[in-house]
Amino acid sequence: MNKELEHQFVTNLEKHQNIAHKICRIYTNDQESHNDLFQEITIQLWKAYPKFRGDSKFSTWMYRVALNTAITLYRKKKRSIRTQDYDTVHFKIKAEEYDDEAERHLKLMYDAIKQLNDIDKALVFLYLEDKNYAEISYTLGISEVNARVKMNRVKTKLKNIINP
Amino acid sequence: MDDLDLLKQDWKKQEKNLPHLSYDEIYKMIWKRSSSIVKWIFVISILEFLLGAVLNIFLADEEYWQQMEKYQLTEFTIIVYIVSYLITFYFIYRFYKNYQSISTTDSASRLMKNILKTRKTVKYYIGFILISSGVVFLITVFLMIRNHAVESADNANMEFDATQWLIFIGGTLLALGLLLGVIWLIYRVVYGILLKRLLKNYKELKKLEME
Repeated sequence: MNKELEHQFVTNLEKHQNIAHKICRIYTNDQESHNDLFQEITIQLWKAYPKFRGDSKFSTWMYRVALNTAITLYRKKKRSIRTQDYDTVHFKIKAEEYDDEAERHLKLMYDAIKQLNDIDKALVFLYLEDKNYAEISYTLGISEVNARVKMNRVKTKLKNIINP
Repeated sequence: MDDLDLLKQDWKKQEKNLPHLSYDEIYKMIWKRSSSIVKWIFVISILEFLLGAVLNIFLADEEYWQQMEKYQLTEFTIIVYIVSYLITFYFIYRFYKNYQSISTTDSASRLMKNILKTRKTVKYYIGFILISSGVVFLITVFLMIRNHAVESADNANMEFDATQWLIFIGGTLLALGLLLGVIWLIYRVVYGILLKRLLKNYKELKKLEME
């Protein structure tokens, strides 16, 4: 086994692990599923790592592989997740930082995101991460025009969920 | 859109609340998957053992032992139980050892070796089940024939002629074949899936090593 490759990979992943954690927050509802998804993402990244030749940044590549892992996994068990009660343990917002009204509103939006489908969640995630359309198109493997159209639809969808 | 901008701000603030894993924790994760498969093999072997024990307790009632007494199979049955439990315990122990060694493995080549070892143990286990089932079946039939012969010495009506023997032996072999076939099939399904996954992991590891 190429020890050097191993070391390189783990170092990179340790540095960029926030990306995976944030994806877990969007896609899972409790700590246990968060850890499961994180581990699955790690394994998929490691499996794909030999193909990563460094033409792009590690983080860019990681967004793509990790997000696709979440989408695939989520798609498999879509129903079980949708009917689950989601507690909002992940989105505990510190009371001192927000007034009640804003806090309630944010919680409402996070809840709304949880109701979206796998692809829409990915889009919202990339939006929150401040990715431009070129990056979104690369990450999700769709055209830029398509990404733009989809993003607008998701925004409308979110709006409708929050203000029915 | 104001709402989404607010959300974006909050999203950035939340970043400092994210968990952080150490280098070692991530390193270990790379090897986790095989260990969970081997854990399942261990768990299934215990469940299977428990199921067998429960079935034995419920099926081996007084009537059963009377029946055995009649065919003079009591001693033989007890010996079979003891021996098969001992061997089963041995395999459960081996499965446990395999699980332990795989979950503490930290290098790919050792992991690959352990995967091969685990696959081998499972194959031996299935082999043991098949051979022991066959042997027990044949010995039981043999002992029953012997006792039958003793009984029929007093009663001429119970004597078999050549064709009857042929039918009897043919029927016995057919039943044996069916029994072993069914057992083999069940084990193929139960362990086959896990073994296949292990093999897949093994191949992936090998590919990584080639890179």
